Amino acid sequence: MITAEQKPLNEIIAYISPYDRILLVGCNECVTVCSAGGRKEVGLLASALNLHFLKQGRTIDIKEMTLERQCDPEYVEELVSEIDRADAILSMACGCGVQTIAERYKEKPVFPAVNTKFMGASESQGVWVERCKGCGDCMLGITGGICPVARCSKHLLNGPCGGTSNGMCEISPDVECAWCLIWERLKALGMENRYEEIMEAKDWRPAGGGGPRKIIREDLSL
Amino acid sequence: MTLQTKFSKEEFVILAEMNTPKGVDISDLVTNVRHLKSRIDAVVIPDMDNGVMHMSALAGGAIIRQQGLEPMIHIYGRDRNRMAIQGDMLAAHVLGIHNLLVVQGENIAHGDHQDAKLVDDLGELDLLGMVHSLLKGTDLAGFELKGKPEFFTGCQVQPIRDDDHLEEELKTAKAKVDAGAQYIMVPPVFDIAYYTQILNKFKSLNVPVIATVFMLKNVGMARYISINDPGSKLSEALITRIRKAKDRETECIHIAGEMIKELKTEVAGIKISASGWEDRLPAILDCAGL
Repeated sequence: MITAEQKPLNEIIAYISPYDRILLVGCNECVTVCSAGGRKEVGLLASALNLHFLKQGRTIDIKEMTLERQCDPEYVEELVSEIDRADAILSMACGCGVQTIAERYKEKPVFPAVNTKFMGASESQGVWVERCKGCGDCMLGITGGICPVARCSKHLLNGPCGGTSNGMCEISPDVECAWCLIWERLKALGMENRYEEIMEAKDWRPAGGGGPRKIIREDLSL
Repeated sequence: MTLQTKFSKEEFVILAEMNTPKGVDISDLVTNVRHLKSRIDAVVIPDMDNGVMHMSALAGGAIIRQQGLEPMIHIYGRDRNRMAIQGDMLAAHVLGIHNLLVVQGENIAHGDHQDAKLVDDLGELDLLGMVHSLLKGTDLAGFELKGKPEFFTGCQVQPIRDDDHLEEELKTAKAKVDAGAQYIMVPPVFDIAYYTQILNKFKSLNVPVIATVFMLKNVGMARYISINDPGSKLSEALITRIRKAKDRETECIHIAGEMIKELKTEVAGIKISASGWEDRLPAILDCAGL
């Protein structure tokens, strides 16, 4: 999923201060799972903002909504009934959701309330870790299901480097060496021969080297 | 006398653009430079021009310096991060390269290494800020340098599409001048009257303006530019002039020479871009009476 973290409250306040009526929009997808911008976080942020402005002797009107998916125009359409009553939109979705709203409601300023972080997985309760860089040419099939692009600090395709120590990366004792993980995994699977194959320099075009990427499915397009 | 001094004394400055080889054979580059040594003020060395891998501009600049001419090298952010660029800039200074032109860099999708990973750490304004910082003796991480480099740094304008785009580019150029650009290089336009209008707009930014004279090589090239870059105002009449000429190559040299003559009174300097025909540069200068 796409992970996110709420922005510092001061930054959000600076965005919305010029406005009196705010439409605060959450998303039921990834940001709900990582507890950054779901219905619950929308409520908490609205309370925090109301409290802040009340302390300043000012009342602002915050309308709370949480869409099923903010990155989908079909669901973003649900804001139509509320949009005229808002001076600005504050989105708690990832950057994809913010931009979908900005594209649909061009006449309203849209501000992000979260920082979109990475494509990751839940490691334990309250901990999410980066697992995918979206390089567009997945090599997990030859690296034992562990991605060196996302998990090796140097993105090495033929590792490990000299900075590996007892299975950990030199950048931090908390970061596992991706190539040690790959080796151990391949060994366990009896696929050590894959480790010995030298990977060629990666083609970065599918990773966006040629500009913003797009998927067109002719069979699904209208 | 350095390029910067010549500009400050308002002497007309002639620059010739020359690419480094794709390989290590520098004989053509050296030969062309030697033929022009007493006739031009500096050689502009693009870096990976058009996104095509060549010998680095840093080496090209050093070669030009060895030949006794002043180099001007392109810097851009596509292929190097801030550490690499700063290191190259310090190297440039000690190699005697003091003229920098901050450029945008061609999209990697149009180059010859389309599978390369993009860097794009610093944009043009960031690069100008970086040079400014180095000049003050500090790197981008805030650490003090042992010895300050000296640079004369300019910026480049993008090809102008229309009047609205011209206004946008003016604003951008102003931001670049505010960020430290000491001269502006304007892309070629083939209609002198229109080009003069554009150049005058950039002259209002109060730094030397360098016009570009692009040497057309044949009818096909002229036609391509006319279709794909309408802002260049390359007229049908000019294409016809080349097409009807008995000796088309000589006609192209004359066209470039005439443009230089006409622009000489309008700008602080010109850059001649011969795109591979650098051996014809002496002939172009002859036609221009320079």
